[in-house]
Formats: sequence, C-alpha cells, structure tokens
Amino acid sequence: MRTGDYKQSYGELVTLIDSPPVWLWSTVLVLALVVAPYVLNAYALSFLTIILITVVGALGLNILTGYTGLISLGHVGFLLTGAYGYAVLVSKYQLPPLVGFLGAGLVPAAASLIVGAPSLRLKGLYLAITTLAFSFIINTVILEMRWLTNGARGIAVQRPEIFGVSFESDAAFTHLCLATAILTLFATLNIRRSRVGRAFVAIRDNDTAARVMGINLHAYKLLAFVTSAFITGIAGALYGIYLSFVNVEGFPFLLSIEALAILIVGGLGSALGAVLGTVLIVLLPEATRLVFSLFSAQMDAMFTTGAQELKSMLYGLVIILFLRFQPRGLVGVWHDLKRTWVNWPLRY
Amino acid sequence: MQYFLQLLISGLAIGAIYGLIAMGFAVIYKSTGLVNFAQGEMTMIVAYIAWTVSTTGSGNILVVSLAAILAAVSLGLVIERVVMRPMLGEPVFATVMVTIGLAVILRSSINFIWDAYPHGLDIGVGRGIVRVGGIGVRTGQIAVIATLLLLLAAIWAFFRYSKTGVAMRAVAADDRTALLMGISATRVHALAWAASSVIAGIGGVFFALSYDLSPAMFQLGLKAFPATILGGLDAVLGSGIGGLLIGLTENFAGGYIGSGMKEVAGFAMIIVVLMIRPFGLFGERDIERV
Repeated sequence: MRTGDYKQSYGELVTLIDSPPVWLWSTVLVLALVVAPYVLNAYALSFLTIILITVVGALGLNILTGYTGLISLGHVGFLLTGAYGYAVLVSKYQLPPLVGFLGAGLVPAAASLIVGAPSLRLKGLYLAITTLAFSFIINTVILEMRWLTNGARGIAVQRPEIFGVSFESDAAFTHLCLATAILTLFATLNIRRSRVGRAFVAIRDNDTAARVMGINLHAYKLLAFVTSAFITGIAGALYGIYLSFVNVEGFPFLLSIEALAILIVGGLGSALGAVLGTVLIVLLPEATRLVFSLFSAQMDAMFTTGAQELKSMLYGLVIILFLRFQPRGLVGVWHDLKRTWVNWPLRY
Repeated sequence: MQYFLQLLISGLAIGAIYGLIAMGFAVIYKSTGLVNFAQGEMTMIVAYIAWTVSTTGSGNILVVSLAAILAAVSLGLVIERVVMRPMLGEPVFATVMVTIGLAVILRSSINFIWDAYPHGLDIGVGRGIVRVGGIGVRTGQIAVIATLLLLLAAIWAFFRYSKTGVAMRAVAADDRTALLMGISATRVHALAWAASSVIAGIGGVFFALSYDLSPAMFQLGLKAFPATILGGLDAVLGSGIGGLLIGLTENFAGGYIGSGMKEVAGFAMIIVVLMIRPFGLFGERDIERV
C-alpha cells in the first residue's frame, strides 16, 4: 500500500517534476494549448491569450511577492515601461522584435534599480509605498517625454515577425504568448530551486536568519526586484502588442491590484499558484456576468455599464475572502485534495 | 510677490487637507501597526455622505457636520469590526493586503451608490472670498487651516493627558504589556479606526467644500501618503505638519516649474525622504536595516 510521498535524496527535493503522471499530464496540457487556437472561437481565444500574457506578469510578480515576500503596488508601472520599451524600439526605430523584447525587459529593470536601491535598504512596507509612487510618477514622465513616447497619443504596435515567422494571425500570436509563458514558467521554477531562489525564500521566511547564513539582503532583494521587473516588462510588451496600441490609458492602476489578487488567490510563493490564480481571476468577471445574467437582463446591463467598477469590487472581495478563509490559496486547496485522495479512507 | 503669496495660501489650504488625511494614516499606524491603504477611500465616502445629507435635508451646516462625523465614526467602527478584527494576529502582509482589497471595493462602490459625475458640496459657506493683504482667499481655505491647527492641539492634549490617549500610546508601544496592564487592545483598535475615519473625513468634507466631489477623490489618499511619510508614519502631529509641507512643495513646484511637476512633487519627495530620513521628520528612529 502506498503510504506517502518520500524523498530519499536532495536531488529528488529539487527536481522540476517528481512523478511520471505529472510529466504525462503536463505534456497533454501543453499539446492541448497548442491545438486550442485552431479549435476555439475568437472570443474564447482572446481569453486564452489574455490568460497566457497575465501568467507571464503574475510569475514576474511572484518572484518578488511570492518568493521574497515584498509587496509591490506599482507593477503596472513595469508593464507600462515594458510596453513602451518595445513600442519605441520596434515601431519608432524599426529594430527587430527580438531586440524589442530585450528592451522591454531591460527598461523596467533599469527603472526598478532606481526605485529599489533606496527603498530596499529598509525593512517593512517601504517598497509598497515607493512602487505606488513610481507607478504614478512614470505616467507623468511618459506623458511629458513627447519626443520619445508621443505623449498622450501613444504608439501603434504591429504584430511581430521573428526569424521569418509571422505572428500576424490571432492563433500565431497566441502561440507566441504560449511559448513566452512556458519559458517564463521554466525560468521561475529554475530560479526557485537554485541558490538564488533559496536565498529569496530565506529572506521571506526570516531575514535575520538569512543574513546570519551569509545572504547579502540588500543585493538579493534588489536582484528579486530587478528580475521581477524584467519579466513583468516582457508581459507588458506582449500586452501592448495584443492591444496593438500602447498608451498610458491602456494600463490602469487596477492591473497592479489584479496581479496581487492573482497571487493571493492562487497561493503565494508557488508558480502553480500563479497559473491557477490567473485562470480564476481572468475568468472571474466573465463567470460572474454569466451567473448574474441568468437572473435578469437588468443585472446584465449593469455589467456592461459598470464593468470596470464591478471588476475592481470582485478583485477586492476575492482578496479579502481568500486571505480570511483560505490564506494558502488554490494551491492549498489542491494539496489538501491530493492528500485526501492518497490517504483515503484514513485521515493522514 | 502677489503670485508667491497666492501659491503660499492655496498650498497651505490644500496642505491642511493632506495633513488631516495623513493624520488619519498615522493614528491607525500608531495604534495597530499597519498602513491603511483604504484611507483615501474612507475620506471620499464620508464626503459623499455629507453631500447626500446636505442635498436631502435643509443643508444646515450643523446638521451636515454632525451627520458627517456620525457617518465617519460608524464607517470606521464597521470596517474595524467586520473586516479588520478577524485578521487580528495574522501577518502584516495579509492585513495590509486586506486594506488594499477594501480600498478597491470602497472606491468602486461610489459609482453604484452615487454616480460618476462631479458634485459641489454647497452648504452656504466656504466659497466666499475674503481679501487678505491684497489677495483673495476663500473662507473655506482659512477654515481648513484653522481646523487643522485646532485638531493638532486637541490631539496633542488627548495623547498627553487623557487616560484613553495614554492607553493608545501604550498599545502602540508594546501591545502585550498593555494587555497585561488591563488595556483592551481591540477597543483601542476600534477607537483608532473611528478616530482616523473622522479626522480624514473632516479633510474630505473640506476638500468637497473648496473643490468638487468626484469618484477620483480617493487620490487624496495617495497625495496624503507623502505627507505621512515625511512627517513620520507613527507621528500623528508630525503627519499633520508634513501635510502642510507637502501642500506647499506641490504648489510651488506646480507654480514655478510646471504643472506636470505638481502631480509628481509629493511622490518624488517620498523617495528623497526614504533615502535620507526614512523614519520621517518627527517619527521614531526604529527603522530596521536587516
């Protein structure tokens, strides 16, 4: 009888995937996602694309908030600088899209150095405050630098063509997002199981102990912040391409809250959680709309007029309820389910 | 010189509003140890309630201010009891996130309870213009500066002399010891939320008197944030003074450098303050650099 899941060596503790069934199901899922764009209709496909882009951003924030335990209220600022980094390089200076994506990562990373260096020396909520300030300052900066960013008019962005492969069609663009999401997922999982990732988690769990073990707190916090900004910037570039237009209006402050809601709902500090949280949060407003429209047409009308407000209310409610009743998030639920499944009918 | 004085007066007036809201931040931080990201939204709700009372009733100034204070007290108490108290003992990360969630909910509720259009709060006072030394000053602007100074004095006396004030300081300094001395921490927390809501709400009502009510009013909270960082997160009086300084900085930056600078000046100030004096001008020096 199987009595549990035992690890016998350190190598087993850090393997990416520890059992053959998980390998199998992950492969099936990826194949299904590759086929999906040809099967789904345009409406469902747009949700899939949004989910994949959001996964990239959520994984980026997860490195900072989930692994290192620092709150950022201004990640929308990095999305925005990433989108502008791409748009300026590719649309304005006609550079190849791959250079654009690199720029989309490097520009926010540079911005995060400026914001992070002074605020990460301190313990506590200071990063939340400075990032909040940053996300407002950056809006003004972009609006003022008209020679580079066209100010409030924004920049139009074409779908890219990389190595002769055109990502013009919706299906192809979804594949691009899928590839980026999978790459990011592997990158964050590998960061988590390396020395750097363990240092991040040590800082989150007990910073004094981490310091005693020889971790340079300032350097590692800054590293987490910069990595997080880099990945978020890539997500911003994808989002800009998806919108086919980059301006300040396209990146409201609500996106920062949405990202935090994703991490809390999914389960902090877990890549799987970030993915599950993204799926739930992206589909939540739509699902709520469907449920309410069953009751009355009036409710449905309310959703179309006050869509943005209802969305924010839902995010706020979900954040509070999950923190109150299921602080471990969807990943916690999943682990409990797994344990019950393995041990049934015994309790443990 | 004329221009300078004009900027000075309007800077002090808006700074007094920031100061009131910043004091709201500081009262909660001092007694519960958490940053309340929903402060701006609470301010906005109180101002909207005052507006509703003024339009449905006779608009008598006494009735409106009494109703606003009552509304603010109950708002603070309800939030503390329903949302914050269940989170007692949870990590700071979780409680702060709860206030962020609360902020988003309150912010969007404005559009459902009231509407998205700007309104003027008109109770017959505050929009008249008095000439002081050759420049026109609104009576509302004078009133808000006076109110801030009065409240500063009152709060100083409250924390210094009253038994409840001392109890609040005790909980802030060391909640376990305070508990052992027979002080109920939950009562102190409830009181702090109510007081913070009232102080910030007064700021909101004054803002509505001089300017307009709109769903974007929650940004006052963001503007007041630099004030409380500058004054010191745990310094109630310092935050009030920080508000005046931020108001002046903002107005002078906007008046002499450019209107874009007006929006950013406060936030740029935060970053400078955190680099040089992270505990603020009047805060306690217990910053941990781990």
